Amino acid sequence: MGMGNACYVYPGAPATPGIVTPDVTFSRGIYMNGSMRFDDGNSVTIWGFTDLAAGQGQADGMGGGSFPSPAMRVTEGQIVHTKLTVGDMWMHTIHHHGIEPSQENDGVGHLSQDVTNGTYTYQWRPKNAGTYFYHCHTNTPLHAEMGMYGGLIVDPKPNPADPVGTKRAFANGPIYDVEAIWAADEIDPAWHNLEWAAGTCGGDVGLNNLNPKYFIITGVDGKTSALTNPGVAVNMVKGQTLLVRYICAGFHPQKIDFGGLTASVVASDGRPLPTPWQTGSIEAHSAERFDCIFKPTITGTWTVTISFYHWRTGAVMGTAKTRITVT
Amino acid sequence: MERRSFIKLGGASLASAVLGSGLLSWVPRSEAATISKTFYITGGTITMPDGVGVYFKGFSNSATGLNVPAASIICQEGDTLSITVVNKLAVTHNFVIGGLKPGDPVLASTGDIASGATKTLTYTIPTGKAGSYLFYDNKTTYNVFLGLHGGLAIMPAGKSNQLYSGSPTFVKQQFWIFNDIDPALNSAVQSNAVVPTTFTPRYFTINGLTSLPPGAAGHGDPTRDALYDTRTRLAGFVGDRTLVRMLSAGMCSHAVHAHANHFEWLTDRGTVRSSVWKKDTLYLRNKLGKIDAIFPFEAPPDAYPPTTHGHFPMHLHDEMSQTAGGGMYQFGSMTEIEFL
Repeated sequence: MGMGNACYVYPGAPATPGIVTPDVTFSRGIYMNGSMRFDDGNSVTIWGFTDLAAGQGQADGMGGGSFPSPAMRVTEGQIVHTKLTVGDMWMHTIHHHGIEPSQENDGVGHLSQDVTNGTYTYQWRPKNAGTYFYHCHTNTPLHAEMGMYGGLIVDPKPNPADPVGTKRAFANGPIYDVEAIWAADEIDPAWHNLEWAAGTCGGDVGLNNLNPKYFIITGVDGKTSALTNPGVAVNMVKGQTLLVRYICAGFHPQKIDFGGLTASVVASDGRPLPTPWQTGSIEAHSAERFDCIFKPTITGTWTVTISFYHWRTGAVMGTAKTRITVT
Repeated sequence: MERRSFIKLGGASLASAVLGSGLLSWVPRSEAATISKTFYITGGTITMPDGVGVYFKGFSNSATGLNVPAASIICQEGDTLSITVVNKLAVTHNFVIGGLKPGDPVLASTGDIASGATKTLTYTIPTGKAGSYLFYDNKTTYNVFLGLHGGLAIMPAGKSNQLYSGSPTFVKQQFWIFNDIDPALNSAVQSNAVVPTTFTPRYFTINGLTSLPPGAAGHGDPTRDALYDTRTRLAGFVGDRTLVRMLSAGMCSHAVHAHANHFEWLTDRGTVRSSVWKKDTLYLRNKLGKIDAIFPFEAPPDAYPPTTHGHFPMHLHDEMSQTAGGGMYQFGSMTEIEFL
């Protein structure tokens, strides 16, 4: 089985079974020629999804786009459509990780289809508020490493008893004022020169061996830039409550250390914990998520360090750092 | 490409090499029993999905077969295990039942078994030992990676549906034993060469098999395809809560990710967790890590229209493990979850 130089792919863009009018729609294209520049001046090719509705275009896959891909944010109980459009030169899917829809809408190629030369509409209705992410599930080791992922947040239905604008982690969960999404990932530049179907027909292209050189948080180099990047570093006022949505977005295990702050971990993988877990650090592996509440009682700056451990040796391969500053 | 049919042993038949134990079936007894089993330490070559032959060793069901992993054993507290191990290979091996938690002493050991020798391990299981165990060879640090391992389930006395007394209940149970294979290690052992000091695994198995996706030779064959292996695949109707005893026999840590349902996470490395978390991804440690979790077989919660049927994957999310020989995505450590 193959298509061009791809094997064990399952091309298609069928109609969605049981499709209905959605409450919210995301229209995603793809890009296959983006880039990320690191603090040392080097850069690598990045692939990702675009927001077609926002005019980002690139349904043909050329050009670049944001990294991580544009986040999705929905409310529990909404019927959601994720429309993925892919040209005929590539194949991709969207798997909403942690969301558990029907087989046809799960975004796994060999159990549904790898989208190509058309549009597939994933239909799903999230039942549980929490932190998720979405990623491509075609030749996944490569496509996810190349950057084809984005945040996915499911908010609880507003509580009528809450003041308008109240933000909760989940129904009857903690109220927060400030939110950060930290998707911690590692980059092996050697993988970033491969074509989209690399290895699928056989041959050793090194996909068993990820040796990262760069360590990033939500698309920002964790060596220096993430310490101050406004999309990553947190600036808050004493008395506010912070919700950190930590996503282990790489393939190797990690440990996030909050630099002396204590997290109250209230949920993981989109499910509230029976009782919050008080901890100064979390060990996580690929695709785990942890929702962490902080209520600093003093002003100060705390450096958060994410260590990346080799999956076999356990050696620290590198770190990514950011800050929480309370004024 | 054809996984098990390439097992090369002197006179070995395919049937003797294929382990089809399926789900762990269990009926509790009021009286303790003696559980007797004979394993033969054997070796042979198994062909990986990319056609590369790799030497393995196993605790096998016959002197001429090769079982990787070994046939699993299920028993209950109070039973006596009587395990006879016959070493058919040229070097000394042993057979140990690992402790429940990291740092625990092994439950029992045969001691060294010289080439050609036979030893019998006898161990009466005390109360309080219910749980999931890996038995393996710890004569060297790497023998476990070569395939010398298997799963032992100890049930609480008198219980048919609990992992430990008072645990959440299940209706079915099975093992997922993960291994990571660097053929350079296996080759060095086979040729009695110097064993490498660093490893780069190239193949990743669950209960000894890799997935074979649609279109691949052997796809759908339960003796060759981890997607369909009855020991591995989760298949059930809504409500068929299935306990999965996950054991790491390999060299890498893994992120065990289920689609369709969140697991109920009961234990980590032999310790009962203080509360049950619902997780779609579980961190399985290397160095003999273990996890017990229940796949609840609830209707996929986010489906619209709602459904109670479908096919979904369980795969490791450290995606290097989804490859074979440095490529071949979907030929790694993955199985299927079917809602009947």
